[in-house]
Amino acid sequence: MRSMRRSMRMALAVAAAFVVLSACGGTAVTGSGAGQPKPSGKIGEVLTLAQPAAPKTLDPTKETTSDRFYAALAYQPLIVQNSAGDLQPGLALSWRYVGTGNTTFVLALRPDVKFSDGSALSAQGVVDHFSYLMKAAGPQAPMFTGYEFAATGPLEVTVRSPKPDPDLAKHLSQNFVAGDIVSPIGLSDPSKLGGATFGAGPYQIDPAQTVAGSQYTYVPNPNYYDKAAVHWKKVVVKVMLDPQSTLAAMQTGQVNLSLGDQGTVPAAKRAGLTVTSAPQLVVAVTLADREGKLAKPLADVRVRQALNYATDRASIAKALYADSGAPTVQVSVPGATGYDAALEHTYPYDVAKAKDLLSQAGYPNGFTLDLSTTTGGGLNLATQAVAQQWEKAGLTVKVNEITNASAYRTTVLGEAKAPAFTANFSVPIATEGSYLYLPNALYNPFRTVDPALQSLYDQSAAASPEAKAGLDRQIMAYLVQQAWFVPIVSQNLYYYASKNITGTTTTPTSYVSIYEVQPAV
Amino acid sequence: MIRTTLRWLASSLVLLFTVTALTFVLASLAPGDAVQAVLSDQTNPTPMQYEQVRHQLGLDRPLPEQYWHWLTNVLHGDLGTDLFSGQPVADTLNGQLGTSLSIIIVTLVVAAVLGVGAGVVSAVRGGVIGRALDAATAIGFAVPNFWLALVLIEVFAVRIPLFPATGYVPLAENPAGWALSIALPVITLAAGSTTFIARQTRDSMMRVLAKDFIIALRAHGLPMRSIVLKHALRNAALPVVTTLGLMFVGLLGGTVFIENVFAIAGIGQQAVNASLTHNLPMIEGVALYFAVIVVVVNLLVDISYRILSPTAGVKS
Repeated sequence: MRSMRRSMRMALAVAAAFVVLSACGGTAVTGSGAGQPKPSGKIGEVLTLAQPAAPKTLDPTKETTSDRFYAALAYQPLIVQNSAGDLQPGLALSWRYVGTGNTTFVLALRPDVKFSDGSALSAQGVVDHFSYLMKAAGPQAPMFTGYEFAATGPLEVTVRSPKPDPDLAKHLSQNFVAGDIVSPIGLSDPSKLGGATFGAGPYQIDPAQTVAGSQYTYVPNPNYYDKAAVHWKKVVVKVMLDPQSTLAAMQTGQVNLSLGDQGTVPAAKRAGLTVTSAPQLVVAVTLADREGKLAKPLADVRVRQALNYATDRASIAKALYADSGAPTVQVSVPGATGYDAALEHTYPYDVAKAKDLLSQAGYPNGFTLDLSTTTGGGLNLATQAVAQQWEKAGLTVKVNEITNASAYRTTVLGEAKAPAFTANFSVPIATEGSYLYLPNALYNPFRTVDPALQSLYDQSAAASPEAKAGLDRQIMAYLVQQAWFVPIVSQNLYYYASKNITGTTTTPTSYVSIYEVQPAV
Repeated sequence: MIRTTLRWLASSLVLLFTVTALTFVLASLAPGDAVQAVLSDQTNPTPMQYEQVRHQLGLDRPLPEQYWHWLTNVLHGDLGTDLFSGQPVADTLNGQLGTSLSIIIVTLVVAAVLGVGAGVVSAVRGGVIGRALDAATAIGFAVPNFWLALVLIEVFAVRIPLFPATGYVPLAENPAGWALSIALPVITLAAGSTTFIARQTRDSMMRVLAKDFIIALRAHGLPMRSIVLKHALRNAALPVVTTLGLMFVGLLGGTVFIENVFAIAGIGQQAVNASLTHNLPMIEGVALYFAVIVVVVNLLVDISYRILSPTAGVKS
């Protein structure tokens, strides 16, 4: 009987452990950088990367952009975006828009390309890839809703978009995963894509040396079309959840490249690691209920502007982000799409002005606002800080903290239940209408329609590259003026690299390109 | 003997049933669910998509039915497949079981040898050693394993590069590398366990050493070493064995964090990943493996009882 009781206690303990774990959530981040040692031109033995999360699947059509390294190693994209943000040939040798309006896009594929499984690249194969991508309904599929992919030659693919899409080439790069083409053999049995690779990239996964969830080992793809671009005899991606352990692994040479963590940057610099960074995220409150369905005051632009005036961004940046964050009123960063330095003076911290605007809008005593947040990326801390500041302007802010990342995403983005919520916007997509502000955008859960904004977007989407930059700045100015968001800080993200590798630089518009990481001199 | 075996079997089955059923229920009550996890990367999944995935995963059926379906599959040797990778759960866990068990078993051996040794010396010699043991026990309990792990990494991997900071080398691949790779995880886990066993052993030994038969043995002139090792220790071992059994189960929980800190691909790390992503088949698989290990450890503890104390389990 004693043994039985002991067993029951153990049973409860084991089960309870899972409940605690199930209540937790997490997110992954990326980074960028500056000066680097020179590449040696040699082939290195083993490149070991650390990633803060395991991929749910190796199927590139279902992977998120934060898992891009796992896909890019084995799946060559149609177009390669280098660390400077420039677009270069991948499986497509060239590409161009046909006619005006950015709606017809033609890709000329590279001839004589074979996938790691021996099958050949063809235009029909690329079309089949996108058919599967849409059917699999992965995270990138919405970017191609209504798009038609057609094989207009043995090695020519024509893409027709229902609306102007000036960023299609970028969306077909490794940074968006969708253009990482799966072989015909892989597509013939998609159930295998989760645990194996069927790509035309420089490497292929070695199942014998891979432990799902913790270590992924890649070896060179014997069929890769550019042998000179294979810089390593083996690439190992280790999943390391703890930033301190990751730093220790970097310091002891067990890992060559990892994502950095705000809290370990000083230690990484002291340890002599190459620390590179650039602003790539914007922490912002999305004032989603702009028609006042759940929070009536948010329908008034003066209220939304008041919340921007009531936010002391400099204090939050200093207290929570130290050297890694800078105050901003824009959902973009210097150097990225739509950013305009002149806009930064729009909302100085001014509680009196905020109260005045609230009075003008009919809320002299403030109002009660539900503000949702999650713990990932320290968003909850920024949210608490903002809530306290807004209370000085007379608001009563009820912070709703949803720990589980999936539940948070579903609640704030999928069900239009949160009138306001905090989020990290990844800058390369920050001003893309389909993510931020168009009626079906991810961060527009209440489906707000604004004809003026739509018009600006349509003009920008159909514009030439020269005209587009100015229109994007107009869009940003409109978003700031209409106060759809309360941007707080632009956040630097970091990479740590050992001294024996090079090629880990990025810009605010592009991530580290795994294809550029090479042994140093 | 038959009755004892049947009783053990019954309690084992109850344990396995309880753990797996509880895990099923609690996982379903936790915020979010497997459907949300599967669809979490999709932009604005429609209610229809939600229902489709829910149906595919069988989550639209009543909970008892879902559990029964899983249980019958398990009885046929099928633990299901990983929701995201599509790999069989059993294959994944079998590949990681050895890693976790090797760390736990070595930790237990180290803690037992050092703990029993220190406990015996403390009981026999007392004085300063006893007080030192008390202090060490308090420190052992007070120091969080997580902190200790990071300190050990910083000192013995980064500053004095004696051991690897992270990772695991399989024993069959490189025995020396294996020993080095598990050194810091084992020290971390064994620190608290050793002091606890030492104190348990000392208290138990002191009680036994005060008994009449020990006094009689001493009166007969037997050497103290012989009395301690041949007579006292055997009698004092029963509570220590119980402690070791409980400790083994506790170390299972310890691997959950230690494998993450040291980036070791074991069942503990799998448990964290599965729980964070609501990977229900994997969560159930890990729970089942943990429960089976608990059952086996219980059996070994009971067997040890009978070896050490022939009267155990015999009704007066």
